Amino acid sequence: MNNSLERLVDGMAATLRAEVVPHIEGDYARGQAFGVIYMLNSLKLRASWSNAFFSSQLRALEEASHALADLAPDLPDAPLPDVAAPENLPDAVDLQAARDEGDAKMCALIDWLAGHGGERVDAVAKAWAIVDDYIKKQTQYELTTSAKPMFVEMSGGAE
Amino acid sequence: MQEAQGADGAATPAFENADGLAEHLAEYLGRAAGGRVFVDGLTKYPAGFSWRTYGVRLRGFLPADEAILRVGPPYGLFAPYSAIPEFESLSALAESRVPAPRAYLASDDPSILGAPFFLSQKVEGDTPLPWGTQSQKLEGERRQRLAEDFIGALAALHGFDWRATPLRRWGEGVTLENAALRQIDEWEARFRRWALKPHPMAHRALAWLRARAPQAQRLSLVHGDYRLGNFLERDGRITAILDWELVHLGDPIEDLGWAFLPQYRGGTGLVCGLAGEEEFLSRYEAQSGLTVAPQTLKFYIVFSLLKLAFTHMAAARCFEDGLFNDMRMPAMATQIAPVFRQIAKILGASS
Repeated sequence: MNNSLERLVDGMAATLRAEVVPHIEGDYARGQAFGVIYMLNSLKLRASWSNAFFSSQLRALEEASHALADLAPDLPDAPLPDVAAPENLPDAVDLQAARDEGDAKMCALIDWLAGHGGERVDAVAKAWAIVDDYIKKQTQYELTTSAKPMFVEMSGGAE
Repeated sequence: MQEAQGADGAATPAFENADGLAEHLAEYLGRAAGGRVFVDGLTKYPAGFSWRTYGVRLRGFLPADEAILRVGPPYGLFAPYSAIPEFESLSALAESRVPAPRAYLASDDPSILGAPFFLSQKVEGDTPLPWGTQSQKLEGERRQRLAEDFIGALAALHGFDWRATPLRRWGEGVTLENAALRQIDEWEARFRRWALKPHPMAHRALAWLRARAPQAQRLSLVHGDYRLGNFLERDGRITAILDWELVHLGDPIEDLGWAFLPQYRGGTGLVCGLAGEEEFLSRYEAQSGLTVAPQTLKFYIVFSLLKLAFTHMAAARCFEDGLFNDMRMPAMATQIAPVFRQIAKILGASS
Protein backbone atom coordinates (compact mmCIF):
# COMPACT_ATOMS: atom_id res chain seq x y z
CA MET A 1 0.00 0.00 0.00
CA ASN A 2 1.57 3.26 -1.03
CA ASN A 3 -0.95 5.83 0.13
CA SER A 4 -1.71 6.88 3.69
CA LEU A 5 -4.65 5.23 5.38
CA GLU A 6 -6.33 8.58 6.08
CA ARG A 7 -6.13 9.68 2.46
CA LEU A 8 -7.43 6.32 1.23
CA VAL A 9 -10.44 6.54 3.53
CA ASP A 10 -11.12 10.16 2.52
CA GLY A 11 -10.82 9.23 -1.17
CA MET A 12 -13.14 6.23 -0.81
CA ALA A 13 -15.78 8.27 0.99
CA ALA A 14 -15.54 11.12 -1.53
CA THR A 15 -15.74 8.73 -4.49
CA LEU A 16 -18.78 6.97 -3.06
CA ARG A 17 -20.50 10.31 -2.44
CA ALA A 18 -19.67 11.93 -5.79
CA GLU A 19 -19.44 9.04 -8.25
CA VAL A 20 -21.52 6.18 -6.83
CA VAL A 21 -24.43 7.50 -4.74
CA PRO A 22 -25.89 9.71 -7.53
CA HIS A 23 -26.20 6.61 -9.74
CA ILE A 24 -27.80 4.31 -7.17
CA GLU A 25 -31.52 3.77 -7.61
CA GLY A 26 -33.65 3.32 -4.51
CA ASP A 27 -33.63 4.94 -1.07
CA TYR A 28 -32.60 1.75 0.69
CA ALA A 29 -29.54 1.18 -1.52
CA ARG A 30 -28.50 4.84 -1.20
CA GLY A 31 -28.94 4.57 2.57
CA GLN A 32 -26.62 1.56 2.57
CA ALA A 33 -24.02 3.57 0.64
CA PHE A 34 -24.21 6.42 3.17
CA GLY A 35 -23.83 3.80 5.90
CA VAL A 36 -20.58 2.69 4.25
CA ILE A 37 -19.37 6.33 4.07
CA TYR A 38 -20.20 6.86 7.74
CA MET A 39 -18.40 3.70 8.83
CA LEU A 40 -15.36 4.58 6.70
CA ASN A 41 -15.20 7.98 8.42
CA SER A 42 -15.52 6.24 11.79
CA LEU A 43 -12.78 3.74 10.93
CA LYS A 44 -10.47 6.60 10.00
CA LEU A 45 -10.64 7.92 13.55
CA ARG A 46 -9.44 4.64 15.07
CA ALA A 47 -7.57 2.58 12.47
CA SER A 48 -3.90 2.56 11.52
CA TRP A 49 -1.66 0.34 9.44
CA SER A 50 -0.64 -2.86 11.14
CA ASN A 51 2.32 -2.69 13.54
CA ALA A 52 3.26 -6.20 12.46
CA PHE A 53 3.67 -5.05 8.86
CA PHE A 54 6.22 -2.36 9.74
CA SER A 55 7.91 -4.46 12.45
CA SER A 56 8.63 -7.21 9.93
CA GLN A 57 10.33 -4.73 7.64
CA LEU A 58 12.27 -3.16 10.51
CA ARG A 59 13.51 -6.58 11.60
CA ALA A 60 14.67 -7.24 8.02
CA LEU A 61 16.44 -3.87 8.04
CA GLU A 62 18.07 -4.75 11.35
CA GLU A 63 19.28 -8.11 10.00
CA ALA A 64 20.70 -6.40 6.92
CA SER A 65 22.41 -3.79 9.13
CA HIS A 66 24.08 -6.53 11.24
CA ALA A 67 25.25 -8.37 8.11
CA LEU A 68 26.59 -5.16 6.61
CA ALA A 69 28.37 -4.22 9.86
CA ASP A 70 30.64 -7.25 9.32
CA LEU A 71 31.85 -5.57 6.12
CA ALA A 72 32.73 -2.28 7.87
CA PRO A 73 36.52 -3.01 8.04
CA ASP A 74 36.56 -3.58 4.25
CA LEU A 75 34.26 -0.66 3.44
CA PRO A 76 35.37 1.99 5.97
CA ASP A 77 33.91 4.93 4.07
CA ALA A 78 30.58 3.30 3.06
CA PRO A 79 27.41 4.75 4.63
CA LEU A 80 26.40 1.44 6.21
CA PRO A 81 22.90 1.55 7.73
CA ASP A 82 22.59 0.98 11.47
CA VAL A 83 18.90 0.21 11.86
CA ALA A 84 17.65 -1.37 15.06
CA ALA A 85 14.10 -2.67 15.36
CA PRO A 86 12.50 -1.14 18.49
CA GLU A 87 12.09 -3.61 21.34
CA ASN A 88 8.73 -2.33 22.46
CA LEU A 89 6.08 -1.47 19.91
CA PRO A 90 5.45 2.24 19.43
CA ASP A 91 2.47 3.23 17.31
CA ALA A 92 2.34 2.63 13.57
CA VAL A 93 3.26 6.21 12.72
CA ASP A 94 6.57 5.89 14.60
CA LEU A 95 7.21 2.49 13.08
CA GLN A 96 6.51 3.78 9.59
CA ALA A 97 8.88 6.72 10.16
CA ALA A 98 11.57 4.31 11.41
CA ARG A 99 11.04 2.04 8.38
CA ASP A 100 11.29 4.98 6.00
CA GLU A 101 14.41 6.27 7.75
CA GLY A 102 15.97 2.81 7.48
CA ASP A 103 15.05 2.56 3.80
CA ALA A 104 16.55 6.01 3.17
CA LYS A 105 19.82 4.73 4.69
CA MET A 106 19.63 1.66 2.49
CA CYS A 107 19.13 3.91 -0.56
CA ALA A 108 22.21 5.94 0.43
CA LEU A 109 24.25 2.74 0.67
CA ILE A 110 23.00 1.57 -2.75
CA ASP A 111 24.00 4.89 -4.32
CA TRP A 112 27.42 4.61 -2.68
CA LEU A 113 27.92 1.01 -3.85
CA ALA A 114 26.95 2.00 -7.39
CA GLY A 115 29.81 4.51 -7.44
CA HIS A 116 32.40 2.12 -6.00
CA GLY A 117 31.90 -1.00 -8.12
CA GLY A 118 35.52 -1.17 -9.21
CA GLU A 119 36.97 -1.03 -5.68
CA ARG A 120 37.22 -3.72 -3.01
CA VAL A 121 35.30 -5.99 -5.31
CA ASP A 122 34.63 -8.83 -2.86
CA ALA A 123 33.30 -6.62 -0.08
CA VAL A 124 31.15 -4.60 -2.49
CA ALA A 125 29.73 -7.83 -3.98
CA LYS A 126 28.87 -9.10 -0.48
CA ALA A 127 27.18 -5.78 0.32
CA TRP A 128 25.11 -6.01 -2.89
CA ALA A 129 24.02 -9.53 -1.93
CA ILE A 130 22.84 -8.32 1.51
CA VAL A 131 21.03 -5.36 -0.06
CA ASP A 132 19.33 -7.61 -2.63
CA ASP A 133 18.25 -10.03 0.07
CA TYR A 134 16.70 -7.16 2.04
CA ILE A 135 14.91 -5.79 -1.04
CA LYS A 136 13.55 -9.26 -1.80
CA LYS A 137 12.14 -9.55 1.74
CA GLN A 138 10.67 -6.05 1.63
CA THR A 139 8.96 -6.71 -1.71
CA GLN A 140 7.64 -10.01 -0.36
CA TYR A 141 6.05 -8.26 2.65
CA GLU A 142 4.30 -5.88 0.30
CA LEU A 143 3.03 -8.71 -1.89
CA THR A 144 1.82 -10.98 0.89
CA THR A 145 -0.20 -8.13 2.38
CA SER A 146 -1.86 -7.11 -0.91
CA ALA A 147 -5.32 -8.21 -2.02
CA LYS A 148 -5.96 -9.98 -5.34
CA PRO A 149 -6.04 -7.27 -8.04
CA MET A 150 -9.40 -6.35 -9.60
CA PHE A 151 -8.23 -4.32 -12.59
CA VAL A 152 -10.42 -6.13 -15.12
CA GLU A 153 -13.47 -5.38 -12.96
CA MET A 154 -12.36 -1.76 -12.42
CA SER A 155 -11.82 -1.30 -16.14
CA GLY A 156 -15.04 -2.97 -17.28
CA GLY A 157 -17.33 -2.09 -14.39
CA ALA A 158 -18.54 -5.67 -13.97
CA GLU A 159 -17.54 -8.75 -12.00
CA MET B 1 -10.13 34.65 -20.39
CA GLN B 2 -13.50 34.89 -18.67
CA GLU B 3 -13.49 32.54 -15.72
CA ALA B 4 -16.43 31.10 -13.84
CA GLN B 5 -16.52 31.19 -10.05
CA GLY B 6 -16.33 27.92 -8.13
CA ALA B 7 -18.32 27.17 -4.96
CA ASP B 8 -15.43 28.48 -2.86
CA GLY B 9 -15.34 31.74 -4.82
CA ALA B 10 -12.09 30.80 -6.59
CA ALA B 11 -11.91 31.19 -10.36
CA THR B 12 -12.64 27.93 -12.20
CA PRO B 13 -10.57 27.40 -15.37
CA ALA B 14 -12.57 27.15 -18.60
CA PHE B 15 -11.72 23.49 -19.18
CA GLU B 16 -13.42 22.47 -15.92
CA ASN B 17 -16.95 22.72 -17.34
CA ALA B 18 -18.20 21.66 -20.75
CA ASP B 19 -20.05 24.90 -21.57
CA GLY B 20 -17.08 27.10 -20.71
CA LEU B 21 -14.75 24.83 -22.63
CA ALA B 22 -16.93 24.88 -25.77
CA GLU B 23 -17.33 28.67 -25.60
CA HIS B 24 -13.63 29.43 -25.15
CA LEU B 25 -12.59 26.88 -27.77
CA ALA B 26 -15.00 28.40 -30.31
CA GLU B 27 -13.65 31.89 -29.57
CA TYR B 28 -10.07 30.74 -29.98
CA LEU B 29 -10.74 28.81 -33.20
CA GLY B 30 -12.66 31.78 -34.59
CA ARG B 31 -9.70 34.09 -33.95
CA ALA B 32 -7.29 31.56 -35.47
CA ALA B 33 -9.49 31.03 -38.55
CA GLY B 34 -10.44 34.69 -38.99
CA GLY B 35 -14.17 33.87 -38.98
CA ARG B 36 -16.86 32.41 -36.77
CA VAL B 37 -16.44 28.85 -35.56
CA PHE B 38 -19.15 27.00 -33.66
CA VAL B 39 -18.62 24.12 -31.24
CA ASP B 40 -21.83 22.10 -31.58
CA GLY B 41 -20.95 19.26 -29.27
CA LEU B 42 -18.34 18.16 -26.77
CA THR B 43 -18.12 14.54 -25.54
CA LYS B 44 -15.70 13.58 -22.79
CA TYR B 45 -14.08 10.19 -23.28
CA PRO B 46 -13.49 8.12 -20.15
CA ALA B 47 -10.09 6.77 -21.25
CA GLY B 48 -6.80 7.75 -19.70
CA PHE B 49 -5.41 9.03 -16.40
CA SER B 50 -3.43 11.87 -17.81
CA TRP B 51 -4.79 14.22 -20.50
CA ARG B 52 -8.54 14.79 -20.74
CA THR B 53 -9.83 13.75 -24.14
CA TYR B 54 -12.95 15.11 -25.85
CA GLY B 55 -14.66 14.48 -29.15
CA VAL B 56 -15.67 17.87 -30.64
CA ARG B 57 -18.25 18.62 -33.34
CA LEU B 58 -17.44 21.83 -35.20
CA ARG B 59 -18.90 24.21 -37.79
CA GLY B 60 -16.83 26.79 -39.63
CA PHE B 61 -13.55 25.02 -38.87
CA LEU B 62 -12.04 24.24 -42.25
CA PRO B 63 -9.91 21.17 -41.61
CA ALA B 64 -12.81 19.05 -40.26
CA ASP B 65 -16.31 18.89 -38.79
CA GLU B 66 -15.09 16.60 -36.05
CA ALA B 67 -11.90 16.69 -34.02
CA ILE B 68 -10.25 15.41 -30.86
CA LEU B 69 -9.42 17.93 -28.15
CA ARG B 70 -6.85 16.99 -25.51
CA VAL B 71 -6.46 19.15 -22.42
CA GLY B 72 -3.65 18.68 -19.87
CA PRO B 73 -4.99 19.71 -16.46
CA PRO B 74 -2.52 21.06 -13.87
CA TYR B 75 -3.31 18.08 -11.60
CA GLY B 76 -2.94 15.30 -14.22
CA LEU B 77 -0.70 12.29 -13.72
CA PHE B 78 2.29 13.78 -15.58
CA ALA B 79 1.55 17.47 -14.93
CA PRO B 80 2.81 20.07 -15.62
CA TYR B 81 2.03 19.49 -19.29
CA SER B 82 3.07 20.93 -22.61
CA ALA B 83 1.02 20.23 -25.73
CA ILE B 84 3.86 21.24 -27.99
CA PRO B 85 5.94 18.01 -28.25
CA GLU B 86 2.88 15.95 -29.23
CA PHE B 87 1.73 18.65 -31.64
CA GLU B 88 5.16 19.05 -33.25
CA SER B 89 5.73 15.32 -33.60
CA LEU B 90 2.30 14.67 -35.14
CA SER B 91 2.80 17.62 -37.49
CA ALA B 92 6.17 16.24 -38.58
CA LEU B 93 4.73 12.75 -39.08
CA ALA B 94 1.84 13.98 -41.24
CA GLU B 95 3.38 12.82 -44.51
CA SER B 96 5.11 9.76 -43.10
CA ARG B 97 4.14 6.07 -43.22
CA VAL B 98 3.29 6.17 -39.52
CA PRO B 99 -0.49 6.10 -39.06
CA ALA B 100 -1.12 9.01 -36.71
CA PRO B 101 -3.83 11.65 -36.27
CA ARG B 102 -3.24 14.89 -38.14
CA ALA B 103 -2.44 17.75 -35.75
CA TYR B 104 -4.53 20.91 -36.22
CA LEU B 105 -3.34 23.34 -33.55
CA ALA B 106 -2.02 23.51 -30.01
CA SER B 107 -1.17 25.99 -27.30
CA ASP B 108 0.32 26.01 -23.81
CA ASP B 109 -1.16 29.47 -23.14
CA PRO B 110 -3.38 29.05 -20.03
CA SER B 111 -5.34 32.21 -20.90
CA ILE B 112 -7.16 30.29 -23.67
CA LEU B 113 -8.68 27.20 -22.03
CA GLY B 114 -7.02 27.31 -18.62
CA ALA B 115 -4.54 24.53 -19.46
CA PRO B 116 -2.34 23.34 -22.36
CA PHE B 117 -4.36 21.76 -25.16
CA PHE B 118 -4.22 20.54 -28.70
CA LEU B 119 -6.71 19.73 -31.40
CA SER B 120 -6.19 16.87 -33.81
CA GLN B 121 -7.94 14.77 -36.39
CA LYS B 122 -10.63 12.36 -35.22
CA VAL B 123 -9.62 8.99 -36.63
CA GLU B 124 -12.23 6.25 -36.82
CA GLY B 125 -11.63 3.06 -34.89
CA ASP B 126 -11.81 1.20 -31.60
CA THR B 127 -9.12 0.57 -29.02
CA PRO B 128 -8.34 -3.04 -28.08
CA LEU B 129 -7.19 -3.03 -24.44
CA PRO B 130 -4.59 -5.27 -22.75
CA TRP B 131 -6.79 -5.78 -19.69
CA GLY B 132 -9.82 -6.99 -21.62
CA THR B 133 -11.59 -10.25 -20.94
CA GLN B 134 -10.88 -13.62 -22.57
CA SER B 135 -13.56 -12.96 -25.21
CA GLN B 136 -11.81 -9.73 -26.27
CA LYS B 137 -8.52 -11.48 -27.11
CA LEU B 138 -7.13 -10.84 -30.56
CA GLU B 139 -7.12 -13.97 -32.65
CA GLY B 140 -6.67 -15.45 -36.12
CA GLU B 141 -6.26 -13.29 -39.19
CA ARG B 142 -7.27 -10.17 -37.31
CA ARG B 143 -4.39 -10.65 -34.89
CA GLN B 144 -1.93 -11.31 -37.74
CA ARG B 145 -2.96 -8.19 -39.64
CA LEU B 146 -2.78 -6.04 -36.52
CA ALA B 147 0.66 -7.49 -35.69
CA GLU B 148 1.82 -6.63 -39.22
CA ASP B 149 0.55 -3.04 -38.87
CA PHE B 150 1.82 -2.62 -35.30
CA ILE B 151 5.35 -3.76 -36.13
CA GLY B 152 5.35 -1.97 -39.48
CA ALA B 153 4.31 1.33 -37.92
CA LEU B 154 7.01 1.00 -35.26
CA ALA B 155 9.69 0.32 -37.87
CA ALA B 156 8.40 3.27 -39.93
CA LEU B 157 8.52 5.56 -36.88
CA HIS B 158 12.08 4.49 -36.09
CA GLY B 159 13.15 5.00 -39.68
CA PHE B 160 11.46 8.40 -39.94
CA ASP B 161 13.89 11.13 -41.01
CA TRP B 162 13.19 13.62 -38.22
CA ARG B 163 16.29 15.61 -39.22
CA ALA B 164 14.45 16.66 -42.40
CA THR B 165 11.68 18.27 -40.33
CA PRO B 166 11.46 21.01 -37.67
CA LEU B 167 12.08 18.26 -35.11
CA ARG B 168 15.77 18.56 -35.93
CA ARG B 169 16.12 21.08 -33.10
CA TRP B 170 15.03 18.34 -30.65
CA GLY B 171 18.36 16.68 -31.45
CA GLU B 172 20.43 19.30 -29.66
CA GLY B 173 22.58 17.51 -27.10
CA VAL B 174 21.17 14.03 -27.82
CA THR B 175 23.81 11.57 -29.01
CA LEU B 176 24.03 7.85 -29.67
CA GLU B 177 26.14 7.60 -26.53
CA ASN B 178 23.91 9.54 -24.13
CA ALA B 179 20.38 8.70 -25.38
CA ALA B 180 19.78 6.00 -22.73
CA LEU B 181 21.39 7.99 -19.91
CA ARG B 182 19.28 11.06 -20.70
CA GLN B 183 16.13 8.99 -20.31
CA ILE B 184 17.39 7.51 -17.03
CA ASP B 185 18.09 11.07 -15.78
CA GLU B 186 14.66 12.28 -16.86
CA TRP B 187 12.79 9.45 -15.15
CA GLU B 188 14.93 9.60 -12.04
CA ALA B 189 14.00 13.28 -11.69
CA ARG B 190 10.33 12.31 -11.95
CA PHE B 191 10.81 9.53 -9.41
CA ARG B 192 12.30 12.02 -6.93
CA ARG B 193 9.29 14.29 -7.45
CA TRP B 194 6.67 11.55 -7.12
CA ALA B 195 7.93 9.08 -4.49
CA LEU B 196 6.07 9.22 -1.18
CA LYS B 197 8.72 7.17 0.63
CA PRO B 198 12.25 5.83 0.02
CA HIS B 199 12.35 2.90 -2.42
CA PRO B 200 15.62 0.91 -2.22
CA MET B 201 14.56 -1.20 -5.23
CA ALA B 202 14.29 1.92 -7.39
CA HIS B 203 17.83 2.97 -6.41
CA ARG B 204 19.04 -0.57 -7.08
CA ALA B 205 17.46 -0.64 -10.53
CA LEU B 206 18.74 2.83 -11.42
CA ALA B 207 22.27 1.75 -10.45
CA TRP B 208 21.91 -1.40 -12.59
CA LEU B 209 20.72 0.64 -15.57
CA ARG B 210 23.45 3.28 -15.28
CA ALA B 211 26.11 0.57 -15.25
CA ARG B 212 24.71 -0.98 -18.45
CA ALA B 213 23.43 1.93 -20.55
CA PRO B 214 23.85 0.84 -24.18
CA GLN B 215 24.94 2.98 -27.09
CA ALA B 216 22.08 3.50 -29.57
CA GLN B 217 22.53 2.31 -33.17
CA ARG B 218 20.38 5.15 -34.38
CA LEU B 219 18.66 8.23 -32.96
CA SER B 220 14.96 7.89 -33.68
CA LEU B 221 11.69 9.42 -32.79
CA VAL B 222 10.58 7.26 -29.84
CA HIS B 223 6.87 7.05 -29.02
CA GLY B 224 7.43 6.34 -25.30
CA ASP B 225 4.15 4.44 -24.72
CA TYR B 226 3.95 2.09 -27.72
CA ARG B 227 1.64 -0.75 -26.73
CA LEU B 228 -1.68 -2.50 -27.02
CA GLY B 229 -4.27 0.06 -25.89
CA ASN B 230 -2.64 2.97 -27.67
CA PHE B 231 -3.81 2.35 -31.22
CA LEU B 232 -7.12 2.50 -33.04
CA GLU B 233 -8.36 -0.47 -35.07
CA ARG B 234 -10.94 -0.52 -37.85
CA ASP B 235 -11.76 -3.70 -39.81
CA GLY B 236 -8.69 -5.46 -38.50
CA ARG B 237 -6.22 -2.72 -39.50
CA ILE B 238 -4.51 -0.08 -37.38
CA THR B 239 -5.88 3.33 -38.32
CA ALA B 240 -3.84 5.45 -35.90
CA ILE B 241 -1.20 5.25 -33.19
CA LEU B 242 -2.35 7.38 -30.24
CA ASP B 243 -1.06 8.99 -27.04
CA TRP B 244 2.16 10.68 -28.08
CA GLU B 245 2.65 12.58 -24.83
CA LEU B 246 5.96 10.85 -24.00
CA VAL B 247 7.44 11.22 -27.51
CA HIS B 248 11.16 12.12 -27.62
CA LEU B 249 14.36 11.43 -29.50
CA GLY B 250 16.23 8.40 -28.30
CA ASP B 251 17.21 4.79 -28.80
CA PRO B 252 14.51 3.04 -30.87
CA ILE B 253 14.91 -0.18 -28.85
CA GLU B 254 13.36 1.73 -25.94
CA ASP B 255 9.93 1.36 -27.60
CA LEU B 256 10.48 -2.40 -27.92
CA GLY B 257 11.29 -2.68 -24.22
CA TRP B 258 7.94 -1.06 -23.39
CA ALA B 259 5.95 -3.11 -25.91
CA PHE B 260 7.51 -6.33 -24.56
CA LEU B 261 6.28 -5.76 -20.98
CA PRO B 262 4.20 -8.63 -19.58
CA GLN B 263 1.59 -6.07 -18.47
CA TYR B 264 0.56 -5.49 -22.10
CA ARG B 265 0.34 -9.14 -23.20
CA GLY B 266 -3.29 -9.50 -22.17
CA GLY B 267 -2.54 -12.90 -20.65
CA THR B 268 -1.54 -14.34 -24.04
CA GLY B 269 2.25 -14.56 -23.77
CA LEU B 270 2.40 -12.66 -27.07
CA VAL B 271 4.00 -9.22 -27.35
CA CYS B 272 1.04 -6.84 -26.93
CA GLY B 273 -1.20 -9.86 -27.54
CA LEU B 274 -0.17 -9.72 -31.20
CA ALA B 275 3.00 -11.66 -32.02
CA GLY B 276 5.48 -14.07 -30.45
CA GLU B 277 8.78 -12.51 -29.39
CA GLU B 278 10.85 -14.14 -32.14
CA GLU B 279 8.35 -13.26 -34.85
CA PHE B 280 8.14 -9.69 -33.56
CA LEU B 281 11.91 -9.24 -33.51
CA SER B 282 12.58 -10.79 -36.90
CA ARG B 283 9.89 -8.68 -38.58
CA TYR B 284 11.02 -5.53 -36.82
CA GLU B 285 14.68 -6.11 -37.69
CA ALA B 286 13.85 -6.79 -41.33
CA GLN B 287 11.73 -3.65 -41.64
CA SER B 288 13.79 -1.25 -39.53
CA GLY B 289 17.25 -2.36 -40.63
CA LEU B 290 18.26 -2.42 -36.96
CA THR B 291 19.65 -5.31 -34.94
CA VAL B 292 18.06 -5.92 -31.56
CA ALA B 293 20.82 -7.14 -29.25
CA PRO B 294 19.36 -9.31 -26.44
CA GLN B 295 21.23 -7.36 -23.74
CA THR B 296 19.93 -4.03 -25.13
CA LEU B 297 16.37 -5.36 -25.16
CA LYS B 298 16.83 -6.61 -21.59
CA PHE B 299 18.15 -3.19 -20.56
CA TYR B 300 15.08 -1.46 -22.01
CA ILE B 301 12.68 -3.99 -20.48
CA VAL B 302 14.15 -3.20 -17.03
CA PHE B 303 14.02 0.52 -17.85
CA SER B 304 10.38 0.15 -18.92
CA LEU B 305 9.44 -1.75 -15.78
CA LEU B 306 11.04 1.00 -13.72
CA LYS B 307 9.14 3.64 -15.74
CA LEU B 308 5.96 1.71 -14.99
CA ALA B 309 6.75 1.59 -11.26
CA PHE B 310 7.44 5.35 -11.33
CA THR B 311 4.13 5.94 -13.12
CA HIS B 312 2.39 4.02 -10.33
CA MET B 313 4.21 6.29 -7.86
CA ALA B 314 2.85 9.30 -9.75
CA ALA B 315 -0.65 7.87 -9.26
CA ALA B 316 -0.02 7.48 -5.53
CA ARG B 317 1.33 11.03 -5.36
CA CYS B 318 -1.65 12.57 -7.23
CA PHE B 319 -4.09 10.76 -4.96
CA GLU B 320 -2.19 11.49 -1.74
CA ASP B 321 -1.95 15.20 -2.58
CA GLY B 322 -5.74 15.21 -2.94
CA LEU B 323 -5.64 16.31 -6.58
CA PHE B 324 -8.53 13.93 -7.31
CA ASN B 325 -10.40 11.02 -5.73
CA ASP B 326 -10.27 8.49 -8.59
CA MET B 327 -9.89 5.16 -6.76
CA ARG B 328 -8.04 3.69 -9.74
CA MET B 329 -5.04 5.79 -8.64
CA PRO B 330 -4.30 4.11 -5.27
CA ALA B 331 -5.19 0.79 -6.91
CA MET B 332 -2.52 1.41 -9.56
CA ALA B 333 -0.09 2.28 -6.78
CA THR B 334 -0.49 -1.20 -5.26
CA GLN B 335 1.27 -2.51 -8.38
CA ILE B 336 4.64 -1.00 -7.46
CA ALA B 337 5.66 -4.12 -5.51
CA PRO B 338 4.71 -6.63 -8.27
CA VAL B 339 6.69 -4.54 -10.79
CA PHE B 340 9.66 -4.41 -8.41
CA ARG B 341 9.49 -8.19 -8.12
CA GLN B 342 9.67 -8.49 -11.92
CA ILE B 343 12.71 -6.20 -11.97
CA ALA B 344 14.38 -8.16 -9.15
CA LYS B 345 13.91 -11.41 -11.10
CA ILE B 346 15.67 -9.98 -14.16
CA LEU B 347 18.46 -8.39 -12.11
CA GLY B 348 18.90 -11.60 -10.11
CA ALA B 349 19.18 -13.68 -13.26
CA SER B 350 21.79 -11.38 -14.77
CA SER B 351 24.07 -10.82 -11.76
